[in-house]
Amino acid sequence: MTRLEQSTTQASRFAVLSSLISGWELALVVALFAVLGGFAVGAPGFFDGIGGLLQITQYFLPFGLVAMGLSIVILTGGIDLSVGATASLSALVMAQLWAMFGLNIWLAAAVALVLGGLLGAINGLIVTRLRTEPLIATLATSFIYGSIATAVGGDNPPSGFPDSFNALGIGTVDPTGLIPWQLVLFAVVATATGLLMGRTSFGRKVVMIGYNSGTAYYSGIPVQRVLLSSYVLSGLTAALAGVVLAAYYSAARSSMGDPLLLSTLTMVVLGGVSIFGGEGTITGVILAVLVLGFLRQGLLIAGYSDMVTTMVTGVILLGSIAVKNTLSTRRNLLRARLRRWRTPAHSPQTNPTVK
Amino acid sequence: MSDTIHPIAAETAAVKSPSAARRRWPRELVLLIVIIAVTAGIGVADPGFVAKQNLQFMILNSVVLSLVALGQTLVIATRGIDLSVAPVMGLGAVVTGLWAQQFGFPLWGAVLASLAMGAVLGTLNGVLVANLNIPPIIVTLGTYSIYGGIVFIYSDGVQVYAVPPEYATFGNASILPFLPIPIPVVILAGVLGLSWYMLEHTVFGRALLAVGNNAAAAYSAGISCASTVVRTYAIAGTLACFAGLIFVSYTGSATVMTGTGDHIELQSIAVALIGGTAAAGGRGNLIGTVMGSLFLSVILTALVFMHVPPIWYSAGEGLMILIAVTVGMNQSRAGGERT
Repeated sequence: MTRLEQSTTQASRFAVLSSLISGWELALVVALFAVLGGFAVGAPGFFDGIGGLLQITQYFLPFGLVAMGLSIVILTGGIDLSVGATASLSALVMAQLWAMFGLNIWLAAAVALVLGGLLGAINGLIVTRLRTEPLIATLATSFIYGSIATAVGGDNPPSGFPDSFNALGIGTVDPTGLIPWQLVLFAVVATATGLLMGRTSFGRKVVMIGYNSGTAYYSGIPVQRVLLSSYVLSGLTAALAGVVLAAYYSAARSSMGDPLLLSTLTMVVLGGVSIFGGEGTITGVILAVLVLGFLRQGLLIAGYSDMVTTMVTGVILLGSIAVKNTLSTRRNLLRARLRRWRTPAHSPQTNPTVK
Repeated sequence: MSDTIHPIAAETAAVKSPSAARRRWPRELVLLIVIIAVTAGIGVADPGFVAKQNLQFMILNSVVLSLVALGQTLVIATRGIDLSVAPVMGLGAVVTGLWAQQFGFPLWGAVLASLAMGAVLGTLNGVLVANLNIPPIIVTLGTYSIYGGIVFIYSDGVQVYAVPPEYATFGNASILPFLPIPIPVVILAGVLGLSWYMLEHTVFGRALLAVGNNAAAAYSAGISCASTVVRTYAIAGTLACFAGLIFVSYTGSATVMTGTGDHIELQSIAVALIGGTAAAGGRGNLIGTVMGSLFLSVILTALVFMHVPPIWYSAGEGLMILIAVTVGMNQSRAGGERT
């Protein structure tokens, strides 16, 4: 998806970013092989043939689905903290439609996806119409969606979905059991997101809004509509992840989506997407999903507790940004010095922001 | 965090401001009136609500949240956010509680220990934000899981279920036999007074607000942005950890889920915003924050009296945040302080 930046090579700033980001993606590829190789050697039971490796992806691909939608929101410069609650609520509504009203489970899943889109739209409307900071808006809606999810789930949330549906979470495409359905689903969603962000005008608008929403507005980009769409997409992928998780556990719980947020945010940021928006690629996020997913599962297989794995996730989140920030300031400083040397009249401004 | 509010917002503000330019009531006064109105309203329906015991419970219940939220208010005023206050509070409660329970650690030592731990953890947050240039939400989300992990590993499944009487007195008793004001309330009043003075009347306080309002301008004006931010996060961490000690003294129990289980980080953000602190930074209403947490405590207790199922409490909090932020935004625009 580097084409996204390639077409703007006239703007030298983008050229720097693009070279940095492709370098970042390369680093992620190296990290992926390091993680796979390291655990294959160090953790017995991690590498059990290619099939075994593909099976492991089932543990973390729902996170990857959420990361796709969340990337779009973060690229606009926003954030969606309600992904976990959205996933839980959508999955529970699906489960209740199936259990209480006898709706076909696939039809119920479709309803859940529509609901996810609607919940995303509510976030988007609050952000665009009430002009609330995305952080605050989605914080508030995550409370509200979470409460509704608990209420919908009731005392005894439904479980025991049909096997044909559960295959979505734990089944494989081929009878030999090599390629999980989850992987196929993630491949489709990731490709679609990649194409959407890299090859369509929508993707360009998203990045431009994230880069400078004021300029985007005065360039005639319908900022509010694009923002709204990005939250809808985030809600949609969160709901999809909820459905997949429900199929994986063959149950739906109101706390099911809780662990999604920290991990997906880490994936997006590790993937090289700037938390301020306007910078980053879907390729990077896909790579980060694999790196972090295999790392977490590897640690769990190696016998570390869930808590330690979460701590490691936190350390990686902070470490990756610290490294990236250090790298980019070094480069910017170097560029700034070069520019000063070439054109003394055009003194570069250093950016003293503390954020 | 992110600037999605741009020219369009500025235009709306310009259109709106002349009609809305009249003086508004201060947020803390509005909250106080609402609190009294709600208390009186529910009290008429159910006299148990205004019984001395319930009133004292509601006030005491808001103290821990108030302490955490005061630090959060300062952080938000710098245009930051601190999600890690929850595990820091949990750490303060679990560590001092376990020390007290296992080998009768003296109270004065626990006070010092909680302050020191909080200061160290808060400073770490601040350094990551200010010196490594990592966005506050990312920093504190990361340290949330790290500090949470430390609590988990340190406690190793052991719970605090009993603290020495010294602690229980500290958490519950009145300051003087004839004056029915619990010690934590007095402490809160002291902290509020100190932090208010610090924010409004010291160089550091003004620097803090300047950084929150416009970091680049503050930098150009010669303010050391980095050290201001680090100190602010250090204060937030200290207050959160100390609130943990108050919590364990008051309730006599603490688990791994203390702080994080109640989503104290989200509650503290909520009450800061309800109290009139601007999410966009540059303004902090400390008295409003304390009123906000008292308001939250009263509302939550009122919900219990009205037999609302507990699952709806967090939805109520979410709605309160949205209302507070929406109202607060119009208010700040009308005042012409920010665009």
